Amino acid sequence: MATTTARPSPTAPTTGPAATRRGRPARHKAEGTAGYVFLSPWLLGLLTITAVPMLMSLYLSFTNYDVLSDWESMEWVGLDNYRTMFTEDPSFWHAVQTTLTFALVATPLKLAAALGVAVLLNRSFTGAGLFRGLFYLPSLLGGSVALAIVWVSMFNRDGAVNSFLGWFGIEGKAWVNDPDYALGTLILLAVWQFGAPMVIFLAGLKQVPVELYEAAEVDGAGPVRKFLSITLPMLSPVIFFNLVLETINGFQGFTSAFVLSNGTGGPVDSTLMYTLHLYIKGWNEYQMGYASAMAWVFLLAIGLVTAVVFRTGRFWVHYSDGED
Amino acid sequence: MTASRFPRRRLLSGLVAGMLALPLALGGCGGEESKDDGKVELSFFWWGAEARAQLTEQALALYTAKHPEVTFKKTWQANQGYFDKLATLTAGGDAPDIFQIDDNYLAEYATRNVTLDLAEYQKSGKLDTTKFPEGLLTYGTVDGKLAGLPFGENTQGLVYNQTKLEAAKVALPTTGQTWEQHIAWAKDAAAKTGVPGTMDPSADYKAFWVWLRQTGKELYNGKELGFTQADVQAWFELWKGARDAKATPTADVIHEGNATDVSKQLVVTGKALTSWVWANQMPELQKNTKDQLAVIAYPGDASKQWPRASMYFSVFRGSEHKDTAADVLNFLANDPEVGKILGTDRGLPSNTDIRADVAASTDNPSMKQTIEVVAELAKNFGPAPTVPPAGHSTVRSELIKAAEEAQYGRATPAQAAEKFFTAAQAAIKK
Repeated sequence: MATTTARPSPTAPTTGPAATRRGRPARHKAEGTAGYVFLSPWLLGLLTITAVPMLMSLYLSFTNYDVLSDWESMEWVGLDNYRTMFTEDPSFWHAVQTTLTFALVATPLKLAAALGVAVLLNRSFTGAGLFRGLFYLPSLLGGSVALAIVWVSMFNRDGAVNSFLGWFGIEGKAWVNDPDYALGTLILLAVWQFGAPMVIFLAGLKQVPVELYEAAEVDGAGPVRKFLSITLPMLSPVIFFNLVLETINGFQGFTSAFVLSNGTGGPVDSTLMYTLHLYIKGWNEYQMGYASAMAWVFLLAIGLVTAVVFRTGRFWVHYSDGED
Repeated sequence: MTASRFPRRRLLSGLVAGMLALPLALGGCGGEESKDDGKVELSFFWWGAEARAQLTEQALALYTAKHPEVTFKKTWQANQGYFDKLATLTAGGDAPDIFQIDDNYLAEYATRNVTLDLAEYQKSGKLDTTKFPEGLLTYGTVDGKLAGLPFGENTQGLVYNQTKLEAAKVALPTTGQTWEQHIAWAKDAAAKTGVPGTMDPSADYKAFWVWLRQTGKELYNGKELGFTQADVQAWFELWKGARDAKATPTADVIHEGNATDVSKQLVVTGKALTSWVWANQMPELQKNTKDQLAVIAYPGDASKQWPRASMYFSVFRGSEHKDTAADVLNFLANDPEVGKILGTDRGLPSNTDIRADVAASTDNPSMKQTIEVVAELAKNFGPAPTVPPAGHSTVRSELIKAAEEAQYGRATPAQAAEKFFTAAQAAIKK
């Protein structure tokens, strides 16, 4: 945000008649300086809170840094942390698998739910605004701890979900305390928070020209055909955008798993997400060097996945530019 | 904040905090020039609830009343996240002068030279521990150094629901029953009351530890494991038998009970008739249920239990006011007036004279019973083990993981034992 507001405007009014050829470079320079001054809060933040610590963690990933000891006793261990990760830490691969399962199941379901609800809410009916607000509400709460706590209590053996199932004579499981279902409840929580992509889909749907639908109707297309042949292609850039964001989001899932398992990844490691494993290594076992290495592998992995998504985008994303 | 949505970012900001604080830490090493005005402010950090905060603040205020030049910068928070915060502060070279710590982490901090060796003050008499039980001091010693002042004693306690047992006319369990007898009792109690007789403690390191000691083993021998894989397997098989006999709850309920929060213990939530806890948790457990609770020792030979420090106070090695900090600890541990204020909030007072005072003056029946039971058991305690080595908290969580695999039927006791043994070995060797 700060970047857009702080960027020196090219159309800024010039000061007085001094705007001659000679004065130009000086003013240019002054504008540049002013720009950087305006940028400085953000730049400072970027450097101190993001860039320097990131580089620092890159450095730490090659050490045995353990948080508590003096810095002098920290040793350079080369690629040891990375080697351990791939060859000696069974929990690492388990965490990778858990995270992949979570992201690959939750993301498509969430997008499907978001698109489905967006299509329904796109019609104009009384109270449409109210419903849009209501459906968006869960994602306002975001990755909040409170929400995860409520979710866990709902899915307990004696929670609300099982009482509901009880009305139909179905005996529920101890969803959150059963290693077969714990991850499933987390996926469900993620899917339920579909509000953010939904709003973006809604905006996208409003952009689809009504004439296309009218023309299709004249040609005798039904609602399914209209959805597949008009809505989806016209919406593909928005779908793409949501897919990228939500994939990254999915991989970074942490809070709900942390709350459900009390920070352990249990029951029996069933909710041991990558980020949670990283946290346990760094903060419970004080292997911060190792945790830093994990963070970098994670960064590269997410980068790679995002690149792959971008690649595939060429084949299914349609940009309808220059029609007018 | 207990959880962050972006742990990596928090990790990074922790690091930058560490970096920014580094020059400060180095500067702090330069010398211990005492402030000329004689004013001393000690930072004091503990975990606990509101009630503990009030008591602690009263106790510290009393110290300030007697030593007006000494004031305290008090910080406290819930247990969850406490050790994250402590680690971050330590990484920044800015650990509190005095901080509360437990046996999970004492060795982690002591072996990394964060804590001050209090033995020197002990020798000079500035820190009086003559009234402390000896085993308790052993349990605060890491590599020959007194890394923390044991602040409160407890020992293993098996808490049972007296109300439910009496209502169903089941004989109450007694100290000295064997493990097999206990399981048989639990099976019978379950049949008569309709509530599972005993929590399955196979994931609980303290129960495993007592059981090991009764067979002549230890959880740790110095920095090695004190048991074999066969021992673990026998332990897991013992409890598989109990589960098969329906003496325990089902795996998902056991999982709930494996959480350490007092309020989630099954004896309190009514999902089992007994829970495996620390004896000093009795009063707190009693607050969470209307049923009458009572406490006895774990099954088997109770003399193999030991006085465990429920927590410690450690002094930061880089503190600028070490002498004052030691004096504060001496005051908190030995002053009779403070003893009355603090009561058994952190465990039974380490100073046995004060403990007797508290027992005589308390009107809380469960506190009274706890003190009596522990005093009775303490008469027969053999030698205490040393405090667990670094890596202990990982060993604990690996035991939970392996035991739960067996409980959920995802692994046989033999497979689970192998997994735990391998993981535990790796954890303390790192």
